Amino acid sequence: MAFTRPPVRLPAHVALVGVVLVALTGCERRRGCAGDYCGTLVFAAAGEPDILLPPVTQQQYALDIFGQVFLKLADLGLSQNTIGDEDFQPRLAQRWEWDDPLTLVFHLDPRARWQDGQSVTAADVAFTFDIYTDSLVNSPFRSSLRTISAVTTRDSLTAVFRFHARYPEMFYDAVNHMHILPAHLLRPVPRSQWRSAAFGRAPVGDGPYRFVVWKAGESVELTADSTFFLGRPHIRRLIWRFTPNLQVAVTQVIAGDADAVEVLGPPDNVKRAQVAANLALYPYRGELYGFLAFNLSTNGDTTKPHPLFGDRQLRRALAMAVDREGLRKSVWGDLAQVPPGPLARLWSIWDPETRQLPYDTAQAARMLTWLGWRDSNGDGIRDRDGQPLAFRILVPTTSALRRQYAVLLQEQFRRIGADVQLDEVEFGVFDGRTQAGRFDAAVIARQADPTPTSSLPQVWTTAGRSNAGRYASPVFDRLVDQASAAPRRDAAKALWRRAIETLNQDAPAVFLYAPDNVAAVNRRVTDVVIRPDDYWALVRTWRIPADQLTDRDRAEP
Amino acid sequence: MTAWLVRRLAAAIAIVFAVVTITFVLIHLAPGTPFGADEQHQQDPEVIARLVRQFGLDQPLPVQYVLYLRNLLRGELGQSFSQHRPVADAIADTIPPTLTLAGAALVVDFAIGLALGVYQAVRPRRFGDIVLGNVALFFHSLPTFWLGLVLLLVFGQWLHVFPVGGMRDPVLCPSVTSARCLGDVVWHLALPALTLGLVGAAGTARYQRAAMLEVVGEDYVRTARAKGLGERRVLLVHALRNALLPFITLIGLAFPFLLTGAVLVETVFAWPGMGRLSVGAIFQRDYPLVTGAALVATGAVVLGSVLADVLYAVADPRLRAPGGAR
Repeated sequence: MAFTRPPVRLPAHVALVGVVLVALTGCERRRGCAGDYCGTLVFAAAGEPDILLPPVTQQQYALDIFGQVFLKLADLGLSQNTIGDEDFQPRLAQRWEWDDPLTLVFHLDPRARWQDGQSVTAADVAFTFDIYTDSLVNSPFRSSLRTISAVTTRDSLTAVFRFHARYPEMFYDAVNHMHILPAHLLRPVPRSQWRSAAFGRAPVGDGPYRFVVWKAGESVELTADSTFFLGRPHIRRLIWRFTPNLQVAVTQVIAGDADAVEVLGPPDNVKRAQVAANLALYPYRGELYGFLAFNLSTNGDTTKPHPLFGDRQLRRALAMAVDREGLRKSVWGDLAQVPPGPLARLWSIWDPETRQLPYDTAQAARMLTWLGWRDSNGDGIRDRDGQPLAFRILVPTTSALRRQYAVLLQEQFRRIGADVQLDEVEFGVFDGRTQAGRFDAAVIARQADPTPTSSLPQVWTTAGRSNAGRYASPVFDRLVDQASAAPRRDAAKALWRRAIETLNQDAPAVFLYAPDNVAAVNRRVTDVVIRPDDYWALVRTWRIPADQLTDRDRAEP
Repeated sequence: MTAWLVRRLAAAIAIVFAVVTITFVLIHLAPGTPFGADEQHQQDPEVIARLVRQFGLDQPLPVQYVLYLRNLLRGELGQSFSQHRPVADAIADTIPPTLTLAGAALVVDFAIGLALGVYQAVRPRRFGDIVLGNVALFFHSLPTFWLGLVLLLVFGQWLHVFPVGGMRDPVLCPSVTSARCLGDVVWHLALPALTLGLVGAAGTARYQRAAMLEVVGEDYVRTARAKGLGERRVLLVHALRNALLPFITLIGLAFPFLLTGAVLVETVFAWPGMGRLSVGAIFQRDYPLVTGAALVATGAVVLGSVLADVLYAVADPRLRAPGGAR
């Protein structure tokens, strides 16, 4: 059936709306930043900070952001040496000296100002220590400060730290855990309410960047403090853009929607970034190591030894059956190394000469047979007294890499006659079970501090709070204590090596990988230096040359 | 009508209460702890123990539940463990983005679904109807997250036609006028809205086709044709108008679909809405936030359903007759 189409006419009100929209769109603010101090850097973050208040969070993205807003007294240098004080860089403290072996005196830089104009004083330092060590505030850094007995003020610019005892990393503990806070703004906040203080969503600091805005679920924006006393930052705006996962973050950087990502993560992401013409890649020493932990206690009962892994010889045999180098090549390619023990690439005590159990499947098989584990029924699985050599590996579903390792380990253990099943569980469940000791073996990854002194004992000594496998060796514990107390780097390194060799011989775990991190940053950014312990710590010295500025860099906020 | 409305509202409150209770119990019974390690850091057991005491998680579950209900009656949803702020604030921030996405998806869904349904109904069992029917079935069968990932890969990463996630450009928006920023939001909205809308539109089209086929054979449509009205007028004014009545119900049904679909789509497209918030809260065992989000989502769905029933009753006089509304 035919019908006549009426003539098309634009109604007057539609035309009016169109004109208004065009006019509004045209009324854009003028863009015009030029010169050395322009530029906007967008970081793609695979998560969102919980709060921007240093004492109550250790979340990585929070640290990235408030690290630009708040200063420490001094910063770790690029050497990453945590022993003594010679490799630390002055920040809020202009200089320091030791009054006696237990008394450290900091002289604050008189130019330092809070971003509301008030001077930074020694009272702020004392207040900060008080907050970090207050049980009501419940800071995760509190235990790291237990060696400091008091922080007092000598005058408005002099803060005095008193220690309980003398040890090599006193200075590191004094400066590394605390970002100094503004007492005049935070004193009224009740201690029990620090976890939810409004200040944590709109902080006022003393660092190179000022807080501008936090759009929940979207982004945080900082702007350069042009009056910053240690030098005006070259890049004018820093924006963290939040994404739900690393894949989206990496895709945003490749697509040019963001400029930098701190850790590309798995090799697939690195390969994607390598072919992106707009990106430069920056490898740096990683702070992570992964291992297959054997539970030395019975699964679910930490008071009894594990029926399999309570046997040191069996653990050694299983450790020797794993081709760690082959696994590393298969999973990581060149992006990781096999650690010679519980070691992160970041640590200066990394020593490839450290004695380890060799990869020797023949010897592993001989040991198992000697221990009575034989394949009595020809099914390919060894057994002893009617019990098969069988156990389960716990692995979190959130880590594709660890799942890949678990599958490969399953196959390698099968070859020497062990029946291994995998338990793939969500990370919360994984964490709960490893903490409670409800597992046989688990593929665990540990993030390390810049120094082994805190991380290593926590995970591997008898009293260690994160000692999932319940490894206990008085010899190892003693060597760790001696290494932590060694006054010089070379002496400490030798003692750490002996401790790690002791642990390796006991085989409480199979140490699988220690990756190097790779950051991706847009090529228009120059002078990029990444500090392995605090990725964006030196951003204020990065720059975007004037001839590389884009319209987005020049945009006036 | 009033008595029916009161009954309907009472049922709605009971449903919300039941969902909150089930969510509360399930999330508390789920293995894992809200204050445990993240992928990067181990948490000090002493710190965890204090937090557990501080938030009352050392109390028996029934006691925690009663306390939660008491606070709920006072209008308090509690403090989010993972966001360090009131649950109400965290949810309030995500409602506008979710409503924006759901609204846009609903427009895509109904615009495409309606057009396809009508087109198919006027050509029943012909080539176009069969092809479109199968295409619709194909889209209806697609998981939203998969379609989202494909669209993101093709139009975001490969063709650079649309942005790779987010709700707006954080660099651009503070520098330009509100209108231009709004345009940027629409640009960011396109792919997620299309993802949610396309999957929904397939169902809508089938529904609308059936409804149209039912009314085109009715006496009043024949009468309209007999009066000599043009086919377009017959279809769009007389047939479609009546075929749209069940659509009101469809809106009520679409709302839960959009909210649940948004959970995955928001995660894929980094859209800062309630879906993404809920997913994060579940993984972090943020009990108050999970329960609060469930409360708000259930409330919205139930309210949408009641609203659809009311609109239906208003639109169809037969249902307002005594004994009509049940």
